Amino acid sequence: MSDSRPGDMEIERRKPSFWRNLSLAWLIPIAALLVTLFVAWQTWLDRGQTIEISFENAGGIVAGETTLRYRDVIVGNVESVAFVPDLSSVVVTARLDRTIADSLPEDAQFWVVRPEVSTSGVSGLTTVLSGVYLEADFEPSPGAAFDRFTGREDAPLVEPGAVGTRITLRAIDAGQLSVGAPIFHKGIEVGKIERPELLFTRDGVVFDAFIREPYDELLTSATRFWLTSGLSLSLGTGGLDVSVGSLANVVRGGLTFDTVFSGGEPIMEGQVFELYENEDSARSSAFEDPFENTVEMSVEFEESVSGLAQGSAVTLRGVRIGTVAAINARVRETDERREVRLRATLSIDPGRIGLPADVGEEGVIDFFSEAVRNGLRARLGLQSMFSQSLVVELVNLPDPEPAALVTLPDTPPLIPSVESELPDIGATAEGLLTRIDNLPVEELLDQTISTLATIESFVADDALRDAPGEFVALLADARGVVGSDEVQALPGEISGVVTDLRAVTETLRQAETVANLVEALNSVQTAAQSVTDFAGDISGAAGEFTDLITRLNALTEKANQLEIEEFLASARELLDSADALIDTEEARAIPQSVTAALDEARGALEELREGGAVENVNAATASAQEAADAIRDAVETLPDLSVRLQRLVREAERVVASYGSESTFSRETLNSLREVQAAAEALSKLARAIERNPNSLLFGR
Amino acid sequence: MEDAGHATQILTAHAAGLAGCTSCGKVHPGGAARCLRCGTPLSPPDGRSLQKVWAWLIAGLIVYIPANVFPMLQTTNLGRTTDNTIVGGVVDLAEHGDYGVAVIVFVASVVIPLGKFAAIAYLALSISRTVRLNADRRHVLFVIVEFIGRWSMIDVFVVAILSSLVTLDFTATVKPGIAAVSFALSVAFTMVSALSFDPRLIWDVEYPPRAKGSET
Repeated sequence: MSDSRPGDMEIERRKPSFWRNLSLAWLIPIAALLVTLFVAWQTWLDRGQTIEISFENAGGIVAGETTLRYRDVIVGNVESVAFVPDLSSVVVTARLDRTIADSLPEDAQFWVVRPEVSTSGVSGLTTVLSGVYLEADFEPSPGAAFDRFTGREDAPLVEPGAVGTRITLRAIDAGQLSVGAPIFHKGIEVGKIERPELLFTRDGVVFDAFIREPYDELLTSATRFWLTSGLSLSLGTGGLDVSVGSLANVVRGGLTFDTVFSGGEPIMEGQVFELYENEDSARSSAFEDPFENTVEMSVEFEESVSGLAQGSAVTLRGVRIGTVAAINARVRETDERREVRLRATLSIDPGRIGLPADVGEEGVIDFFSEAVRNGLRARLGLQSMFSQSLVVELVNLPDPEPAALVTLPDTPPLIPSVESELPDIGATAEGLLTRIDNLPVEELLDQTISTLATIESFVADDALRDAPGEFVALLADARGVVGSDEVQALPGEISGVVTDLRAVTETLRQAETVANLVEALNSVQTAAQSVTDFAGDISGAAGEFTDLITRLNALTEKANQLEIEEFLASARELLDSADALIDTEEARAIPQSVTAALDEARGALEELREGGAVENVNAATASAQEAADAIRDAVETLPDLSVRLQRLVREAERVVASYGSESTFSRETLNSLREVQAAAEALSKLARAIERNPNSLLFGR
Repeated sequence: MEDAGHATQILTAHAAGLAGCTSCGKVHPGGAARCLRCGTPLSPPDGRSLQKVWAWLIAGLIVYIPANVFPMLQTTNLGRTTDNTIVGGVVDLAEHGDYGVAVIVFVASVVIPLGKFAAIAYLALSISRTVRLNADRRHVLFVIVEFIGRWSMIDVFVVAILSSLVTLDFTATVKPGIAAVSFALSVAFTMVSALSFDPRLIWDVEYPPRAKGSET
């Protein structure tokens, strides 16, 4: 058991150093850690910056899905959609690329792009599949880094990044325009209008319009805008002309602009243009609107200028020569006190006064200083009777206080002013109203009503209604009288008598038997006796006739003097009397008596002719003489009768003429009266012939 | 057998001062540097290999974090882009009712990797005696870990296949996210970690080598 080897020593082994034993494999987790940290850091960097955009409503925006694009490149993502504490709007939190977020200016615009179908076309169609997205538009300004914005409700009409000029248009109403309506220049679309907005300060609307580059260079102060409906109708000598523009133009309406006169000045961004109804008014506006080469003058007023405004007219004896450019108050130091005066600056167009256009400021000032010396003064006047708007009137006063144009170094020359003759409109209006109030309107109405009632009852009166009827009946009576057979027959009978007489005398003339003369003379003697009797009869008849004529005369005279009603009454009376008269036996008997007398005469003459007793000639001649005397006596009344008859006819004619020349009644009456006249004339002739030569009655000469 | 082994005092190669080649199994004396047959460098089973295991395991754990945090798949469907993480994808699948698929994905992407981490860590700890475990059980665990390792790439395969197949431009596009790379790395690291584990150590713990010079 002798084992020389030393026993096992309890040794503590040298521990290998921790670092020496460390495996290289540990580098791997370190590398992995580094890579992971790097990836994490990179990712964190890539997360970008959040911004908050508030919208009225977040239609279609989905957190985590909706992207945010700038120039149609995705630059961010919506992280959350939340309400503001009072729930009045939606806040969309979006994470943006850091480079984009750093350049966001304060006025960056965000809106939701949705699919949209409108009159101007279809837009945002890709969003049908991909969902809505947010679009941003801004002018990059590095370092601005704003992060709170208010989103737009709709996309701006001008596409982001478009270059051009924005102007403002002013119109009476926007009825024919819709958002996005195109603006044309010579038929080429060069811009668009944006949403019209109501103007609260004055009647009308304003809207922004955008004219794209390079067309915006066409805009000058001489540019005029007018509405084009796309549909034009014109009716001329060439017929009806209908022209229809593009459908979009018809639906949306549109504007056209053109330069209407030369020499316009370049415009600024945001220039205001008037929008005219049509091309004519736009072009004609060039001659009325702009004031050119204006020279500034000023006026100070002591009274209130309420009603005078910027743009009010400046008139020279009623003609507009300029406009009020500004009104302001200034304190004027006088010796005793300080007072506030209101100063209006006037822009005056020398061309309107008649000065040459190139007269220059000095020329205008010279003109006014001379005019002021001659009595030109400024004062306030009413624009119209019913408006409170004021204008500045430049008037020539006949005998003004001497004054001169005040030329001040820093302000326009001052035209002296006089107190205006403004009526106190308020008081006047009140007075007018009071007076209107005091008018006895109700009384007047009552009276009118009662008057009308009276008129109504008067018109409704039966008597008044009957009056025309009675008149007609009267005329019918008169016509009946005149048309009665007796009266009609009267002239015929008279002419018959005359014819008979003519035949008798003819027979007498033709009788050649002198041998029978004696017999005849015998007969003549008895005949003459009869004739004498007859002549007495005639005289009686003539007396009655005379009586009739006298009555007619009196009647006619009366009729002449009477008013129409009385005349009518009298006429009726007359006609009744005439009727009655004519109706009397005697009147009817007249012709018969004459006829009978002539028959007897004829019989007597025949007896004479047959007798032929010459020896009785003397006796007969004596008797004849006697008879002739009797006849002459009788006949002597005949001229008188005929004269009266003529006079009657004239009177009657006049009466009838005054009554009415054209009626049948008057015509018939006239005719019958004329025949009466003719009969009277024949009687008169007969009487005269007998008178001249009574023997002719016997001997037919 | 185990108990029998204990009773008969098995002498391990390591205990006998020998070292076996890890690739061909030829036994060499203790100091040999290379295998005489296949030329594989010989190393004694010591703590260095365990360090490698830990290093790779930790690396795998590190990259497993982004694999779960970052999106695995970026799916663009009709313009809508959705990012899916692994767990998010599982939840989505489950919500859509695809429980089977959800379970598969969950097991393959979460349970297995985590199990692997746990198993490797457990083995490594058991070697350094912090945890006591029967040697045979440890060996079974090691075999399981090695076997499962090749299947845990299933996620990466799915992503790779999807992204190459589903490229319909607008309607549907699938892109691999950062997590896919991380996950692949994680799987690879754990595989390397498992490979680095020297199974001889399992038995060394059970049968510690004798002190030098005690034999012969």
